[in-house]
Amino acid sequence: MLKEYRTLFPFMRRYRWSYIAGLSCLAVTSGSQILIPQFLRRAVDAISWGGFELRVIGVLMLQLVGVSIVIALGRFGWRYFIHGASRRIESELRAQLFEKFLAMQPSFYHRNQIGDLMARSTNDMNSIRMASGMALVALFDGVFLTAGILAILFVQNPRIAAIVILPLPFITVLILLAGRFIRGLFLKVQEGFSSLSQRAHEMLSGVRVIKSFVKERFFLEKFADSNAEYQSRNMRLVRIWGLLFPVVNFLAGITTLLLLRYGGEGVILGSVSPGEFVATLSYLEMLIWPMLGAGFTVNLLQRGAASLERINAVLDEPPEIASPPDSIRDMPSTAISVRNLSFTYPGAAESALQGVSLEVPEGSILGILGRTGSGKSTLLRLLPRMDNPPRGTVFVGGVDVLDYDLGTLREAFGSVPQDTYLFSTSLKDNIGFGLDDPDEAHIRHVADVSTISRDMQAFPDGWETEVGERGITLSGGQKQRVAISRALAKKPRILVFDDALSAVDTETEELILNQLLSERSGTTSVIVSHRVSTLAAADRIAVLDQGRLIQYGTHAELLAQDGFYREVSLLQQLSEQKTHTDPEPH
Amino acid sequence: MEEEQVFSGYNPRVMRRLLGYAKPYRLLAVAAIISLGIGTAGALLLPIVIQRTVDDNLISRFTRIPAEHVTEFGAAEFDGAIVLSGATYIPDDKLVALSGVDRAKLTESGAIEEIGYYVFRYDNALTSTFDGSFGSVVTDTAMVDGRQYASIDAARFGELSEEQRRLIRSDDLTELRRKTLSFFVLLACVLAFTFAQIYFMALVGQGVMKDMRMELFNHTIRQRLGYLSRHPVGKLVTRVTNDVETVNQFFTEVFINLLRNLALMVGAVATIMLLNWRLGLVTLATLPPVLILTVFFRDRAREVYRRVRMSVSRVNAFLSEHLSGMSIVQLFVRERKVRDEFAEQNGELLRANLGEMYVFATFRPIIDLLSSISIAVVIYFGAGFLLSGVVSLGVLIAFINLTRRFYQPVMAISEQFTVLQSALAGSERVFEMLDEVDRIPDEGKWAPPAPVTGSVEFDHVWFGYKQGQPVIRDLSFRINPGETVAVVGYTGAGKTTIANLLTRMWDIQKGRILLDGVDIREYPLDTLRTVIQPIQQDVFLFNDTVGSNIALGRDLSKDELHRISSLVQAGFIERLPDSFETALTEGATNISTGERQLLSFARILAHDPRIIIMDEATASIDTETEQLIQMAVGTIMEGRTSLVIAHRLSTIKHADRILVLAQGELVEQGTHDTLIAEQGIYYNLYKLQYQESTFT
Repeated sequence: MLKEYRTLFPFMRRYRWSYIAGLSCLAVTSGSQILIPQFLRRAVDAISWGGFELRVIGVLMLQLVGVSIVIALGRFGWRYFIHGASRRIESELRAQLFEKFLAMQPSFYHRNQIGDLMARSTNDMNSIRMASGMALVALFDGVFLTAGILAILFVQNPRIAAIVILPLPFITVLILLAGRFIRGLFLKVQEGFSSLSQRAHEMLSGVRVIKSFVKERFFLEKFADSNAEYQSRNMRLVRIWGLLFPVVNFLAGITTLLLLRYGGEGVILGSVSPGEFVATLSYLEMLIWPMLGAGFTVNLLQRGAASLERINAVLDEPPEIASPPDSIRDMPSTAISVRNLSFTYPGAAESALQGVSLEVPEGSILGILGRTGSGKSTLLRLLPRMDNPPRGTVFVGGVDVLDYDLGTLREAFGSVPQDTYLFSTSLKDNIGFGLDDPDEAHIRHVADVSTISRDMQAFPDGWETEVGERGITLSGGQKQRVAISRALAKKPRILVFDDALSAVDTETEELILNQLLSERSGTTSVIVSHRVSTLAAADRIAVLDQGRLIQYGTHAELLAQDGFYREVSLLQQLSEQKTHTDPEPH
Repeated sequence: MEEEQVFSGYNPRVMRRLLGYAKPYRLLAVAAIISLGIGTAGALLLPIVIQRTVDDNLISRFTRIPAEHVTEFGAAEFDGAIVLSGATYIPDDKLVALSGVDRAKLTESGAIEEIGYYVFRYDNALTSTFDGSFGSVVTDTAMVDGRQYASIDAARFGELSEEQRRLIRSDDLTELRRKTLSFFVLLACVLAFTFAQIYFMALVGQGVMKDMRMELFNHTIRQRLGYLSRHPVGKLVTRVTNDVETVNQFFTEVFINLLRNLALMVGAVATIMLLNWRLGLVTLATLPPVLILTVFFRDRAREVYRRVRMSVSRVNAFLSEHLSGMSIVQLFVRERKVRDEFAEQNGELLRANLGEMYVFATFRPIIDLLSSISIAVVIYFGAGFLLSGVVSLGVLIAFINLTRRFYQPVMAISEQFTVLQSALAGSERVFEMLDEVDRIPDEGKWAPPAPVTGSVEFDHVWFGYKQGQPVIRDLSFRINPGETVAVVGYTGAGKTTIANLLTRMWDIQKGRILLDGVDIREYPLDTLRTVIQPIQQDVFLFNDTVGSNIALGRDLSKDELHRISSLVQAGFIERLPDSFETALTEGATNISTGERQLLSFARILAHDPRIIIMDEATASIDTETEQLIQMAVGTIMEGRTSLVIAHRLSTIKHADRILVLAQGELVEQGTHDTLIAEQGIYYNLYKLQYQESTFT
């Protein structure tokens, strides 16, 4: 368990002064707390023997208040130092984790669910903070306070001390045992909750089927089952969890009871002074917290270790895609060369690409045509190393892409992926995403190219319009056009365009593609499109099918061949014959 | 992630509505509140028992009034007064009735002795231990009601042997044992009733949560498809799960704990006042600072809590967004920028957390300090009152205990107010969603006299998903019972929409759709959708067994399942590891696209609709399965009216009639042969697809 904590050592070393200051405050607090019942004892003894002067009590009480002020300051101090340190450690560890996330390759995000990664950045961080803060306090306080109080109790009256503390270890044991048991039940509740969520999610996703087959009642019943199951799991937890603190209180009450019985007998027989009796009553009350704390410490440390294990798993995983040691930071030209490239996704049965060879001379345009699943997107991903191609298969400027500094390589590309992903910032910031210092005029220009500027009047705040999460306030076509502008804005040396106009009507699509091509003329571009009229402008066209290159040549050459390219071309000519519009109903 | 309202101001309407949900559980709630009352009373009685024990048994000293002063004193009027050899002994705690002035006067005149005495019954067992010195040790002796009593000076008592002390105070020892027992019973009661309260209240909270979740889910799936496609599934799920969860929190954490803590505070104050109103008033005088501080703290706590919640949700939103869009970040080499942005959000979260920490780190110690000050004041004034005989030691001890108990809930209460407000905000979101009713009107009462024959007619139908953007324009056509009609056309021609309209997933904006000559809006929705059922292109399969995915809750025997699956050529099911019991994994990745298609056919046969609308899959399917699908299609269309949104030539050729759709309009119709002869759009389509039969 302890070895998981190694990640925290550098942090704790950095904050060692905070911890030392915090623990010192804690020591002062605990030490002063132990004094309080002594004041009570002296006051009560003075009172019970009678014949005291009120002034004596007054002085005692002023001392008590003085010590209480010290306690308050000490309490503030340890919270300030220790919670402060653990909060800062949490924050820094989260930043470190995020830094790691930034370096991880796409396959990492396939393997791990986003929700899970988020849980590691938040929930797990919480339990680590508890372990590095509260657990430490509870441990220190527990040992210190318990030892101090026990010492006093035994010096005062060993026989009574031995009797009254009997129930206390049970509290610790109870917390320890119940902690483990409750954790199990709690996990069951969480499982129940997530299965309920999944049920709801599944049913709401498949709501069309439910409605089509009139199955509302049936699925409601199933949901009711999950709901009832979740409820009963909750109740199972309540049965134990709800019993825990009443039982702790009961055990604490039993110590008071033992004191009443045996301490009381001592008072009656004169062997225990009433003041001692009152002081012991206070001490016992003070002992409850360390006893609880001891149990919690163990639980917190275990939970922290489990969370750290999940954090360490990420931190220790080396990124699969990274710059090589002596990376090349200079790209001589943008000529792309693909040589006998075969690629299989890890775990996939069939290869995505097989023996593909292509040349894209500097400044030329390569067009790619192929059905869904033909390997087009895979090919485009391999160019900027979003996945690693095998060595000796993909070259840019005559250098294997694997040998470039990753930043240098990717900086050369401007990509328009098939699935548009926008960030929830303004329109302008999305377009200028790839730029350090966006130039307004340039942004406007690329917005014209993608024709998104035409929609500007529809946006309430123009360029500053927030696009919402993943661009939810934009239509599909608008999102795609923003993505095109985003790629063009950085004036990439190589443009990679993956047929990202599915949501735009054919007329606009053609307009955009033509503007795109003229914008890019003379610069290297790889353009995937299902539109032959667009591909016609490419210098060369590659036709992919099931990961293989089946046709490769100029537009004219391919049209002359019997094959997929010509078929698609004919089909599209036909559909263009019939585009007409009608008036809307009134 | 949108920032949701974290708090809601106290809204009595929401509160009342929330409590309305607890009505079916009112007996449990009453039981919980009664348990709460008993548990709290028990908890407050515990210090009283200690006080009584201390005063009556532990200390239990008497003040001796010498015989010459008895009349001036009126000693006989005191409860528990006993006269031994002329001197009157009055229990110390009964002297409380004496005013301070009287007491000072009496002490000065020697009417009250300053030494305390123990008064006890004795017999030979005790006197025999004294070897005859008994008479010189005790102060007074006397026979009262036939029993021997003696008194002893408290200072001399300490010099006796333990055996003698035990014998002298045997009555107190017996009484101590008895009180210890009642203390135990009280503790057990507190344990039992506290647990009962937690348990009953959990039942209420869980029950309400279950009911509300059910109601919300029921409400949601009955909303129209348009509503459901407008709201992200994730958000709907959050309402049904997380937001409803806050309702449970309201009952089990906030409501009852607030009640308990208030009861504890009020109870502590009441007990203090009952025990001794003078000292009680002194104690009360120390409380205003804590009340003011609590109100102040509550506002600060809410502020910092809100800031933390907002920062947390921002960090979460940032994480969710950038982890999902990581490949864009990496493609555009923006790692450094994004890292800096994250550092900013993360830093704000840290600042918010530290801000919260400072507030709590300040207030908790201050509250503790105030509690200590209260106790010091109570002891000081209590000692003063004790000097003047107004309070007893036991009462003073009880006060110390009760003052502590009063301060315990203070912190908790101010935090619970914060939780209360966030719970109310959660319920408000749930109520808002419940109040938004957007359903397909289901007012049809028409009951077809005979089984539906299955004729369908579109009569000048206009429809658009968005206002002003018609997808279907003035569409009219008729399908006769038992006929198979294929709809062909390019993407976006409105083919799929026809299926949505016919099953009333969406309602048309103009025109009529007739089933057996009756407007489909005249039919009850259930009837309509039992008669007309679609086969969707991407088959949605539930996370369940193959068998249940076919039956969807219908009670089908194994034999029937076998019969159906063999009719639709779904022989692959029998080859699955557990046959019909095989669980389909999420997204049903363990079966192929073609097999999913066959499963959806089986689903249709299991429900036996009169009319089917089939949206053929465009995805390429391996040749073997493709053949099975062709055969199965033949089977399921037999004897049914079928509308096929066709992508396969073979399906089209077998159709009785073909409708060619372009931009939501019917542009050609006829049989395969007549359309070929017309040499129009269909002819061109056909010619092209002849070689590439599954390509569109």
